[in-house]
Amino acid sequence: MSRPLIDVSSLAMRYPTGRMALTEANLTLSAGELVVILGANGCGKSTLLRCIAGMLKPTSGQIQVAGKPISSLSGRALADARMALGMVFQNANLVKRRSVIANVLAGTLGRHRTLATSLGFLPQGERSFAEACLAEVGLQSFAAQRAGTLSGGQAQRASVARALAQRPLALLADEPVASLDPEASEELMTLLRRVAHEDGLGVLCVLHQPDLARRYADRILGLKDGRVQFNDKPADVAEVAVAALYTKTPEPVAA
Amino acid sequence: MNGFALKTMPSPAPQKAEPRRRLHPLTFVIILFGVALFLQSAIVVHARPQDLITGAAGIADIVSRSMPPDFAGLPDALWPALETIDMGLFGTAIALIFALPLSLFAARNTTPAKPLYFLARGLIALARVVPDLVWALIFVAAVGLGPFPGALAIVIHSLGMMGRLFAETIEDIDMGPVEALTMTGASRLAVFTHGIIPTVIPSLLGITLYRLDENIRSSLILGFVGAGGIGFQLLTAMNLFQYRTVSMLLILTFIIVVGAERISAALRQRIA
Repeated sequence: MSRPLIDVSSLAMRYPTGRMALTEANLTLSAGELVVILGANGCGKSTLLRCIAGMLKPTSGQIQVAGKPISSLSGRALADARMALGMVFQNANLVKRRSVIANVLAGTLGRHRTLATSLGFLPQGERSFAEACLAEVGLQSFAAQRAGTLSGGQAQRASVARALAQRPLALLADEPVASLDPEASEELMTLLRRVAHEDGLGVLCVLHQPDLARRYADRILGLKDGRVQFNDKPADVAEVAVAALYTKTPEPVAA
Repeated sequence: MNGFALKTMPSPAPQKAEPRRRLHPLTFVIILFGVALFLQSAIVVHARPQDLITGAAGIADIVSRSMPPDFAGLPDALWPALETIDMGLFGTAIALIFALPLSLFAARNTTPAKPLYFLARGLIALARVVPDLVWALIFVAAVGLGPFPGALAIVIHSLGMMGRLFAETIEDIDMGPVEALTMTGASRLAVFTHGIIPTVIPSLLGITLYRLDENIRSSLILGFVGAGGIGFQLLTAMNLFQYRTVSMLLILTFIIVVGAERISAALRQRIA
């Protein structure tokens, strides 16, 4: 197997308050793989994802994204390195007053840093590609509709289309099903798995639902109090190990 | 008192309601303070209702002398009327052009740097707290009589008002799409034009149209300090005791103000 798309080694993150959000975190993500990060609230899942996306600077440790040390980049170099990463957020984060296709086209803006796009024009040359991205998520008939009129599940799928329009190597999804009903959640997870298995993207997905993780993930990474508890195939992850992620450990008393 | 409490409260709770009816000492002090505040204002403004009664004859005299309105002077008033409307239009348009970038600097979530934020907020505060009438006096002194100083005064004052409202609108937006677009690798400016502008444009247009209405009204007043337009005509007619011309001008003013308000409201309803 070639080099992993994302390689995180001995990552540590300390917040200004002194609390350790992450300790000695290691993680790899390869092309064609769907990895789910599980853990209770405040276990460091989002922090880990934000570090990988270069939105937070880790206290120590290395993060390689497609061979680039994203945590030590800034400005234009950081923006270029981020192009390899498509983000899917908890909320779809679409521009509600714009059409669905305009939102997907906006995903290509990183490749089109021209005067015209700076003035608010969309890169029309990408229209057929954006339509293909919409078709990929099953929303081609919604192209002309305002994004604000989509249902929660549709909006989240449109945001996946926007991420795909960016032509990323990997998708980072931060609790993408948190605000979706069970049916829409299944649809979205099916979509993410297909993106990984058929399109060959690496997908890293933070979830709150152990059952979804078991059914869709190629690998599950359990995180508790900022430490990786396990990192295995779903079949090799014991129920008790998952349950242990959600049992409270008493807050360490500050010395 | 008890009967009233029983009527409003079907549950048998008149005894319970008893302690609630007692005035809190602080409430009493606040009411007393409010009354005192009002009384001192009445004394300071020499409020004497009897003056209104004795002055009624004077008012009746002016009203009778201003009837019927002198519409012979109407053609001469049309050009100043256009000046008044155009001062408002021009002032609002120029203010809009400058308020857009200024509000970007003055919104906490889009400002490129903290010092620029404070600078922009300072400019907005200065433009806003100085009334447009005072700006007009300054500009009349600087560039002479006529509609141009009036238009300048409107530009500066509206820049302050619009800049602040624009900045507040931008500060209120959902930052999710902005974050999402930033992560696609889009340039900073593209994130603004694609992520923020489409979201805020209806509100900004609404604010601008509201401002246009206000500006046409205030350009009438600005004429009184020499900034041209209907206001200046009105002042001249008053000084020459041409009350029939005054009443004609007031009718014209009324038409302009109501017209501007109606058109602005109708357009705002369209974009909402």
